[in-house]
Amino acid sequence: MIAIAERTFGLLALVAIVIGVGTAILLIRGRVPDWLRDDVALPLATAIAAVATGGSLLLSEVAGYVPCTLCWYQRIAMYPLVVIVGVAAVRRDRAVWRTVLPITAIGSVISVWHILIERNPQWAGPCEADAPCSLKWVEEFGFLTLPTMALIAFIAVSVLTLAAHRR
Amino acid sequence: MATQSRNARAEARRREQEEQRRAEVRRQRLLFGGIGVAVLALAILIAVISVGETDDSLSLSDVAGDPDISGETLVPMPEGAEDPAVGEPAPAVEGEDFDGTSVTVGDAGTPQLLTFVASWCPACDAELPEVVSWLEEGGLPNDVDFTMVVTNHDDSRTNWPPQDWLADAGYTGTALVDDLDSGVFQAYGLRSTPSWVVVGEDGEILHRSSGVLDPSQYDQLAELARTG
Repeated sequence: MIAIAERTFGLLALVAIVIGVGTAILLIRGRVPDWLRDDVALPLATAIAAVATGGSLLLSEVAGYVPCTLCWYQRIAMYPLVVIVGVAAVRRDRAVWRTVLPITAIGSVISVWHILIERNPQWAGPCEADAPCSLKWVEEFGFLTLPTMALIAFIAVSVLTLAAHRR
Repeated sequence: MATQSRNARAEARRREQEEQRRAEVRRQRLLFGGIGVAVLALAILIAVISVGETDDSLSLSDVAGDPDISGETLVPMPEGAEDPAVGEPAPAVEGEDFDGTSVTVGDAGTPQLLTFVASWCPACDAELPEVVSWLEEGGLPNDVDFTMVVTNHDDSRTNWPPQDWLADAGYTGTALVDDLDSGVFQAYGLRSTPSWVVVGEDGEILHRSSGVLDPSQYDQLAELARTG
């Protein structure tokens, strides 16, 4: 059951990569379509943050994967995004990127550091039994670990809130 | 009169356009919501098909050993301070390898080099190939025993079961399987994995340390075991 949930989150992370990259290309080329800017970007960003939040809670509370210190810092950045972007989606607040980007930037930096520690476990020192940050609880498709998925979510939410702003 | 009629028609047209716009928004929301649900359903379907059967054949109790531990428990290893356990008698442990072969550590008679590892521990996973290479290259002196104490078992984490993890890394040396409560790990006063312990010929602790070592340090520890 948990293996299926992990694979599902991995597949959704791949979808989020496509969404993030596609939206970024549209942003750079200045061709964000009206339907994306007006009706889709913020609800989609909310959905991505909600799936990331739900996924992290499922894996810790149901699967019993103990969050490490860096996981907690990323949670602190991710969880509020559901409310912040969700309220902005309802109110059609195009300026929400001003609030979102500082949070996602901090979250992304922590995710990158966590990914580096996963790849270089000797940087984190020896493993205590409870929750070492170098431990890969999940690794889908050979590269999608939990901080990697969090980084993808942070970037996708950032790009989508920018797309909602773009005129 | 004519003006009122025109205004009424304009108002009706405006309302109609507004209604059309709302209907369009509703259609779009339904469409994108449907796409979202479809993507989620497809992801779950692909996950169910692709995950398949997992091998849960070995449980914690199947793997964990039941070593007999005697002697005083060592004080917890201090961080960055002189180790008060040096010179103390090592806890004597009689246990088994994964295949049931009897294994003894901590007793007097032969200098011993012990490394405590957990299969899920990324630092242990990073160090294991270095240890295997060192052993294969004949780094271990003939008069020093080397034992890998496999501890802190967790079947929910990566590299389970530990015997497969060791075999995949090419380790063919002696392993002592700790119990479910990590009794050997606790008896040696350790806090984390990997940890290294050197036991002298007289059965006294000569050294304890934790963390990944540089391969050149294996030689130093083995020499320490020999010379005291």
